[in-house]
Amino acid sequence: MSLLVLENVGRRFGALQALSGISLSVEPGELRAVIGPNGAGKTTLFNLISGFFPPTDGTIIFENKPITAVNPTALVRRGIIRTFQITEIFLALTVQENLRIAVETAMGINLRPWISAATRAAVTRRVEDLADTVRMSAKMHRIAGELAHGDQRVVEIGIVLAKSPKLLLLDEPTAGMGDEETNHMTDLIRRLNKDQGITMLFVEHDMAIVFGIADRITVLDNGRMLAEGNAAEIAGNPRVQTAYLGQAA
Amino acid sequence: MGLVLLFNAFNGLIQGAFYALMALGLALILGLNNTINFAQGAFMALAAYFAFTIVPYVGFWGALIIAPLLAGAIGLVVEVALVRRLYSRKDPIYSLLLTFGLAFIIQDLIRTIWGAQGVPLAIPGFLDHPLSNTYFFLTGYRLFVVAVALIGTAALFAVLRFTRIGIRIRAGNSDLETISALGVNIYLLRSANFVIGIIFAGVAGILAAGQLGLNPNMGDTLIMPAFVAIVVGGVGSLVGSLLGGLIIGLASGITTAFFPAASEVVIYVIMGIMLVVRPRGLMGQEGLFE
Repeated sequence: MSLLVLENVGRRFGALQALSGISLSVEPGELRAVIGPNGAGKTTLFNLISGFFPPTDGTIIFENKPITAVNPTALVRRGIIRTFQITEIFLALTVQENLRIAVETAMGINLRPWISAATRAAVTRRVEDLADTVRMSAKMHRIAGELAHGDQRVVEIGIVLAKSPKLLLLDEPTAGMGDEETNHMTDLIRRLNKDQGITMLFVEHDMAIVFGIADRITVLDNGRMLAEGNAAEIAGNPRVQTAYLGQAA
Repeated sequence: MGLVLLFNAFNGLIQGAFYALMALGLALILGLNNTINFAQGAFMALAAYFAFTIVPYVGFWGALIIAPLLAGAIGLVVEVALVRRLYSRKDPIYSLLLTFGLAFIIQDLIRTIWGAQGVPLAIPGFLDHPLSNTYFFLTGYRLFVVAVALIGTAALFAVLRFTRIGIRIRAGNSDLETISALGVNIYLLRSANFVIGIIFAGVAGILAAGQLGLNPNMGDTLIMPAFVAIVVGGVGSLVGSLLGGLIIGLASGITTAFFPAASEVVIYVIMGIMLVVRPRGLMGQEGLFE
């Protein structure tokens, strides 16, 4: 059974048909890349799946239940978590404080004035686990705003992991990163997928990364699905080559 | 001359501690509530009058704790009923006008309830005596004011550094939308923050009343220096507001020793120089006034 299924999904904004006829299914544990030229509809697709706005056509199904008209907050509770193209962390706080807020929120102890020592210990342990997962343990007490861009994005991943995602949507996770930062991030994505079994959808422009780590690749162009397949199939697909070469020309 | 200078410098530091307490409350509310709270001085007077009324029943020490909490309760009502409605307006002029009006309303309420005449606030006898004959200005009360200011400031920074609500207040200052998206109730958070700010005003008000006595307009004379402290220290930085308060208090005190007539204007001169030389203030974020 597929974790996420889109059946003939479309989205129209006034006269603009941003997406149409999108049908795809993502299996549990899959690492799926979404690629396509600028304006192909990748971010719109993410907005539909994460409930930022509903599709104007078709149905979205998550864990065998339709989620077409479910709001983003409820979807977060069900396990669909996303990151954005811009980094969303608290720059004035330390890495540890950033993670702590996320963990406490996920545990439902947001503004409770008093918690037990056991809960407090559980929070600390989870924060340390997350820092370890994203390899930020050594920088726990650094102010997030003083970290390199790549480290900030990694902290952001730590924050979203606190919510125990079943489906993680990453919008351009390596945008603006240098080689080393990019390697760190792709390594993290791969580990989260393989070690923790988190199903992921990611938008990425760097084809080396896409072909290097994705199980399957969905190609969008002009709001339609151009192709879908594994790295070899996509690389050899003449329509994909045309779309990309056509854009470059 | 040395003793006079020391006297005035010490006096200035005490004044600076007042300013810092006031400025911290103002800076908190300016940060998370995005409100320039002109009624901060009125809340200060209100807490002092509450203290005046309850001292016969709970004593000075009881009043020092209970009266700011009472003022905080009024602050909560004001925040929920009025201030909150203006959060969606980006232009700070709306909340400024609201709190400006509130200041007049609270002052007139005080005048109606307690009368326009000034009254003294009784302080414990042992705080009233000089600690030494040479250093006659070192009364117990003055040291007490400094001690309360230190404790209050330390408590505030500890709350902001270590507690769940404090970390969220700082996170909200950094990015309110994200903290809201994470599932934190920002209405509750902002209410709590406003109340903490008012409690700080209340403590400062009672300390001032013990020294200067009470009158309905007592907040007016202290609120402008508190704003100056924020501008000098840097908008958006609590540490800056604290330093700003101490610096202008000290400067005002030292000026008194040499040229008493300029002791009030000197803080505005400092603010003017700061705005020209370093518009963001001592520790403010870049770009607020640049």
